[in-house]
Amino acid sequence: MIAMKDVSKVYPNGTAALEGIDIDIHKGEFVFFVGSSGAGKSTLVKLLLKEENPTSGAITIDGVTLNTLKRRQVPYLRRKLGVVFQDFRLLPDKTVAENVAFAMHIVGASKREIVRQVPRVLSIVGLGDKAEVFPSQLSGGEQQRVSMARAIVNNPTLLIADEPTGNLDPDTAWEIMKILKEINQRGTTVIMATHARDIVNYMRQRVITLDRGRIVRDQERGGYSFED
Amino acid sequence: MKIRTLGLQLRQGFSGLWRNRVMTLVAIGSVTAVLLVLGLSLLTIININSLADYIESSVEIKAFLEEELDSSQVQTIGERIARVQGVKEIDFETKEMALRKYREQLGDDGSLLEGLEGENNPFPSSYIVKVEDPNTIGSIADEIAVFKGVEEVQYGKDVVEKLLASTNLIRVVGTVLICILAFISVFIISNTIKMTVVARRKEIRIMKYIGATDSFIRFPFIIEGLMMGIIGAAFASGMVAAIYNYFYKSMHSSFGGIFVMISGYLAPYSQSLYDTSLILLGVGMVIGVAGSGISLRRFLKV
Repeated sequence: MIAMKDVSKVYPNGTAALEGIDIDIHKGEFVFFVGSSGAGKSTLVKLLLKEENPTSGAITIDGVTLNTLKRRQVPYLRRKLGVVFQDFRLLPDKTVAENVAFAMHIVGASKREIVRQVPRVLSIVGLGDKAEVFPSQLSGGEQQRVSMARAIVNNPTLLIADEPTGNLDPDTAWEIMKILKEINQRGTTVIMATHARDIVNYMRQRVITLDRGRIVRDQERGGYSFED
Repeated sequence: MKIRTLGLQLRQGFSGLWRNRVMTLVAIGSVTAVLLVLGLSLLTIININSLADYIESSVEIKAFLEEELDSSQVQTIGERIARVQGVKEIDFETKEMALRKYREQLGDDGSLLEGLEGENNPFPSSYIVKVEDPNTIGSIADEIAVFKGVEEVQYGKDVVEKLLASTNLIRVVGTVLICILAFISVFIISNTIKMTVVARRKEIRIMKYIGATDSFIRFPFIIEGLMMGIIGAAFASGMVAAIYNYFYKSMHSSFGGIFVMISGYLAPYSQSLYDTSLILLGVGMVIGVAGSGISLRRFLKV
């Protein structure tokens, strides 16, 4: 599903964000990227979205080699990926349903598909009754659920969540995790970058720990650790 | 882009115009101003060109012949002149014709020339030479001047050279002016659209993350720029037509017959207005599209 081979990233200002990263992630896995801020989690996510290119090393997602991917093909890569951010990134002048439908418009879905699919994903994230509400009228947790609905509405093979619980209180964070788990159980590979120790420890999933741009630990059913 | 996304795209383009209506009006105003100047300079250039073409095509060389030539010598000179490269046509003017012409020019004072007929006629006979390219008139005149039997050559040297220099200058200045104006208006439109783009840059970022193609994101903005260009061109064309019409009428009433005569050498009235409007529309569209394209480039790099 995802293969990173000896990937390094040095930013133009000289900061070495990642060094010698080797990662293999299989279809259907649920993987945490953990580490303190500045450890390289965000850079890793940016590389997967091809928002940044690696300085050296090869990245493959679902058979597509990112290094040689042309700029104009990047949108088609991103359609296979669902993305959830810490700050939700919803369009404020569109309703919940419109925000989700927008992602389908972009890929050229028909009205019929949109009318069928949008309520379905909204009920998966538990917002079936908030379709006509605007984002500003929702709580943070609800907004994050809208962004998750948008991320999965085009049936991506991979969902990337960058600190999805970062702005949320613990109870709300757990709701988000339940939904992520459910999405994973429906067959979508999930990658989540986080430094929420409790969540990582409780979920008992694969944990890749980063420290100053290097992988210091890669554990099946692991936990959050500062031992190193 | 798929056809069914087109409707949504167009609606977004128009709603963009409405949402930023103040800036849109400013942009349309500036396009109108620029295209108005462009249109007026175009019309001026078209007319000066057409007038210059006429004057250039009517310049001629007068080669005065020596007295005491017999008719076969006169004919030989005519054949030699006709063989000079660049000569379009020649006409022979006899002493009598020259006298008659001058008398007509004097009009009521023609009686001054009484008694100069026949033996006393002081006017020389001459060949009137028309050339193909007015730029070569000087060298052709010099060539003819040394022919045996040719007394003197005249071609209004100063007038022709000044006219050629000024029409060329007007063409060059006009072209440069138009290029500068077009550049300025692209800049103004791109800045206007940049404001709408900045206002929507979060939206553009989100669209990029969801997997929207660049052309999908660009399209509504292109429509916006295109509409601004078209509306600006429409206003400018209307104003140019009104100004041209006013100018035409006032020239007609203050100069009357003379203007009617000159207007025959101006570019045809409705045709030149039509051409100018089409050019303004084309330039307006190009400016609009170029302006929005430039303003978007930076924001698509996510």
